[in-house]
Amino acid sequence: MSEYVLELKGITKIFPGVKALNQVQFQLKPGEVHALMGENGAGKSTFIKVITGVHRAEEGEMFLDGRRVDFKGPRDAQAAGIAAVYQHPTSYPDLTVTENIFMNHEMKKHGIIQWKEMHQEARKYLDQLDADFKPTAEMGSLSVAQQQMVEIAKAISTHARIIILDEPTAALTASESEKLYRIVDKLREEGVSIIFISHRFEDMYRLASRVTVFRDSQYIGTYEVDQITNAELIKQMVGREISDLYPKPRVKLGEEVLRIEKLSRTGYFKDVSLHVRAGEIVGLTGLVGAGRTEVMEAVCGITRCSQGRIYLEGREIHIKNPTDSRDAGIILLPEDRQKTGLILSWGLGRNVTLPILNRFSHHGILNEKEERALAKELLEDVDTKAVTVFDPASSLSGGNQQKVVVAKALAQDNMKVVILDEPTKGVDVGAKAEIYQIMGELAQKGYAIIMISSEMPEIIGMCDRVYVMCGGRVTGELNREELSQEVILEYAMEKGTDDKKNAKKEGAE
Amino acid sequence: MAGKSGRTISATPEKVWKKQIFSWEGILVVIFLGVIILCKILSPNYTFANVLREMPKYLSEIFLLFPMAYILMLGEIDISVGSIVCLSATAGCMVSNAGVPFGGVVLAILLVGAVCGAVNGLILTQFPELPSMIVTLGTQIVFRGIAEIALGSGGSVSLSNTEGFWMIAGKAGPFPYVFFLVILSAVVFTVISSKMKYGRSLYAIGSNRQTAFYSGIKVKKVIFTAYTVMGLFAGIAALFLTSALYGANTTTGKGFEMDAIAMAVFGGIATTGGKGRMAGGVISAFVIVCLRIGLGQINMNSQLILVIIGILLVCAVLLPNITGSIKIRKKTN
Amino acid sequence: MEKKSIWKRITDSREASLVIVLILLCAAVSIKNPAFLTLNNIAEILKNNAVTMILALGMLCVLLIGGIDISIASTLAFAGMSVGLLFKFGYLESTILGFLLALVIGAACGLIIGLVIGKGKVTPIIATMGFMYIYRGLAYVVGNSQWAGADALGNFKDFALESYLGFGVINNVIMVTVICYVIFFIIMKWTKFGRSIYAVGSNAEAAEISGIHVARVKIAVYTIMGLLSGLCGALATTVYASAQPDMQTGKEMDVIAACVIGGVSMSGGKGSVAGALLGSLVLAVIAKALPLVGIDSLAQNTVKGVLIVVVIILNVITKRVMDRRNLEGREM
Repeated sequence: MSEYVLELKGITKIFPGVKALNQVQFQLKPGEVHALMGENGAGKSTFIKVITGVHRAEEGEMFLDGRRVDFKGPRDAQAAGIAAVYQHPTSYPDLTVTENIFMNHEMKKHGIIQWKEMHQEARKYLDQLDADFKPTAEMGSLSVAQQQMVEIAKAISTHARIIILDEPTAALTASESEKLYRIVDKLREEGVSIIFISHRFEDMYRLASRVTVFRDSQYIGTYEVDQITNAELIKQMVGREISDLYPKPRVKLGEEVLRIEKLSRTGYFKDVSLHVRAGEIVGLTGLVGAGRTEVMEAVCGITRCSQGRIYLEGREIHIKNPTDSRDAGIILLPEDRQKTGLILSWGLGRNVTLPILNRFSHHGILNEKEERALAKELLEDVDTKAVTVFDPASSLSGGNQQKVVVAKALAQDNMKVVILDEPTKGVDVGAKAEIYQIMGELAQKGYAIIMISSEMPEIIGMCDRVYVMCGGRVTGELNREELSQEVILEYAMEKGTDDKKNAKKEGAE
Repeated sequence: MAGKSGRTISATPEKVWKKQIFSWEGILVVIFLGVIILCKILSPNYTFANVLREMPKYLSEIFLLFPMAYILMLGEIDISVGSIVCLSATAGCMVSNAGVPFGGVVLAILLVGAVCGAVNGLILTQFPELPSMIVTLGTQIVFRGIAEIALGSGGSVSLSNTEGFWMIAGKAGPFPYVFFLVILSAVVFTVISSKMKYGRSLYAIGSNRQTAFYSGIKVKKVIFTAYTVMGLFAGIAALFLTSALYGANTTTGKGFEMDAIAMAVFGGIATTGGKGRMAGGVISAFVIVCLRIGLGQINMNSQLILVIIGILLVCAVLLPNITGSIKIRKKTN
Repeated sequence: MEKKSIWKRITDSREASLVIVLILLCAAVSIKNPAFLTLNNIAEILKNNAVTMILALGMLCVLLIGGIDISIASTLAFAGMSVGLLFKFGYLESTILGFLLALVIGAACGLIIGLVIGKGKVTPIIATMGFMYIYRGLAYVVGNSQWAGADALGNFKDFALESYLGFGVINNVIMVTVICYVIFFIIMKWTKFGRSIYAVGSNAEAAEISGIHVARVKIAVYTIMGLLSGLCGALATTVYASAQPDMQTGKEMDVIAACVIGGVSMSGGKGSVAGALLGSLVLAVIAKALPLVGIDSLAQNTVKGVLIVVVIILNVITKRVMDRRNLEGREM
């Protein structure tokens, strides 16, 4: 037997124009949980796809139990006992849980699918994972956490010896993550080897014994988790030291800019009141599904609220659609940059000027030269890593895409209130610091800022005041001095909001 | 602001003449010239004057191309336009036969078209969950169905008073009036889509409807307008079609929607939305019309012409995909 | 509570609500006209709508993988004309060979479309639009301005009149329809291929990752669609005892309409064989019933179109109402 259950050497993968992986290596010991870390775009996901046979590497060798293997497709990897749970659950929303588990390895007799046996078997796997839903449930009706459980059941059902988890906790609440940790522990005890990709250091400390770092498509090193410090690890990932992650400037607070009173939307949130002053950074936090995004979307006219009042600079305003909100100077930077923030196939310049086309319209004709000049200025202001304003937004990394979204907001010169929804989600450590920097500068310029975030460190590091939501209500308001992880969690979990209720909510949305 | 790295971003467009020649529009111009030379060789009658004389027959369909291109850019589709043409033409003939003066007849034709288009637009904006394919499939059957009821068991109507229609079918020199109107529409639609806010909104919605909505683009208004204009132009097409046929029947305008979509797609406007340019659509329309006229002159079976157009269409969409995948393969090797 | 849940179950399932609509429809018409529900009349309806019903099966698969095929009527005409003319000029005499040939032509046509869509990655609506022109044109070209009438078809047209496949009781055409439905019911529910069709439509990317050959499934589905179009070309030739190049023009819209009414989603992943059957039956019964209840048959298309629009809008509204009710039920 070889020392390693899986070993890769000198793997190089080339996509048109880019080397996604350059001579990387990796070793997985039997029965270990091995974390794989690196900034976005470091090549982790591509690497996983090479292991699972989705991509074929141009160069390099892969060994399974010391024997050389060459996967021609996902099938070969499956047959060799490798299963992956991807970042975005790769499920079939219209099909049942059972079918999702057994997709492409159905139980058959003479070519006929044995539904009854399959449901029974699925039930067994779900029981193993303490899942509380039926195998006949439709996948699309489950919460993200539940869907992930199905994906894990699917991996177990193929009798996988190596399971790869790609950012499994990204969409989970704290308690759901805890449940996932227990499942991973159990799998390890059963002798399964696990590769774990995550941005959360918490995940790594809780689970992994070793960690491998990639940077810029290259292998940087493998370390024992208990022998490397947090700072060192960040340094390896980013390639430089980050001195002050949260550059919170001291700003003298101005007048109250935005006040919402008793805002409600049936089924999503109720009696939410909050206010924000000029130069102030207000945090809005809580567990996923607490209704934070929904409140701000209602303020910006994306959805309609059923009750409540909104005041801007002391005057009541009525916002019916995003156009009204834009004209009033309340600008939302949405959470999902790819779906709602940017048009990925467009150049950066056009993305930036999309909300302010009227300004370039002379006798109905758009002055594109003026348009490009403004876009250039704004993009440079936020220090976007791009060559021209014509670069498609899809060519940028997550962090730089977020900067373009910021530039797009800055283009609206009547802006008074900036609402940032999870501004650092999926953004790597280096770019995170730059985004905090920009937020600080915005506050200094006197904008009123609301930041929705699930990440405690950034809430605590950046905010003057924090509202905590739970189950559609504001359960707490905390000043900067009172902020601590424990207090926030206490408010976020108030009123016995257990997993089930949250799960139900997500399922219904 | 931040800008600490002092990085600059270029805002000057590259010299684009090379790009333009190798763009799909450039290739289409070459194809256009090729078609004309080919037809010239095949048929001695293929002269400028003759082509212009035969053109009005086909021009009414080009009216449908312009708004159809917009709808495709939005990522939507409208397969009810052929039926709208039928219903408008039927209404026009009936109003005319009832003794209404020609001005009123024109108004009626355009109004019926615009109302039908607005119905499509209204359903699609009120129920954005519905795919436009299926909604316009339903209204396609309804609009033609209403025309069938109106036409009664005979299934057709002829104009009793052709005076006004005869007038608009006239010519200025060798050019039929309708030719000028097509050119004018082409210019207006091109300018709107490439230089104006409405055009930019079309592409934004077609590329990513959510982002457009979040950015404050009035998505519903843009979509509703596009469909209403589509109906209006179906009315215009019906007007000129009636002036050529002096009547209408239950099969009037059948298949027009497919021809319009084919012209747009051949012109590089993808049905997935957000792609292509009006100019491509216009050139491709004239490629197809000139080809039809030429092949018609050598007495080629009109159905065989359809086969050729079908093959051209499939090749036009297939080729970029194939060359694209070959390029990728080459690069990775 | 119990009552409510049964009612909810019925309204939740498209198939169950369609059965009820169908029963009500039949009951209403037979009160007005007792001749409606006689065996003969039913057999007549089934025979005349066999083409739509069979094509709906293929369209179900096509829609399930998120595609569409508007070339089917052209394929049908091409296959029907080829076979009809071969009979006319005496190259063919055996009915079985005629059917086999139609199947082969149809499958070949479908295969080409499948390759263009699956391998060439062309959008289905555009690809099939091109082939709609091509195959319809070919139907005219092979015809060379001729067509095959009843006397030219010889014993081939007798297939639709006899009932040897149905043990002398059930008409051959109906029997063919039934066999198709049984085969498809089994394939879609109990075979790996059937489930991979659902998988591709539900999430093509995931299907690719879990090792399903998405392109192959697409090619297979369009080939099946072509195969059924070919079969229907032969069937239509025998049922109407003629083969013309313009036969069944516009049929694709009827077939898509049947599927949509039967609850097949245009965006893929949702739909069932039972839905396709019920959808085409509802359309068939309405077409037959209109004249019986005194509505001019000229209004048939209008009624059909309005029905489609109303059905899809009602779907959206019920879904919205249900969502709102769910939201109101939430604790805050």
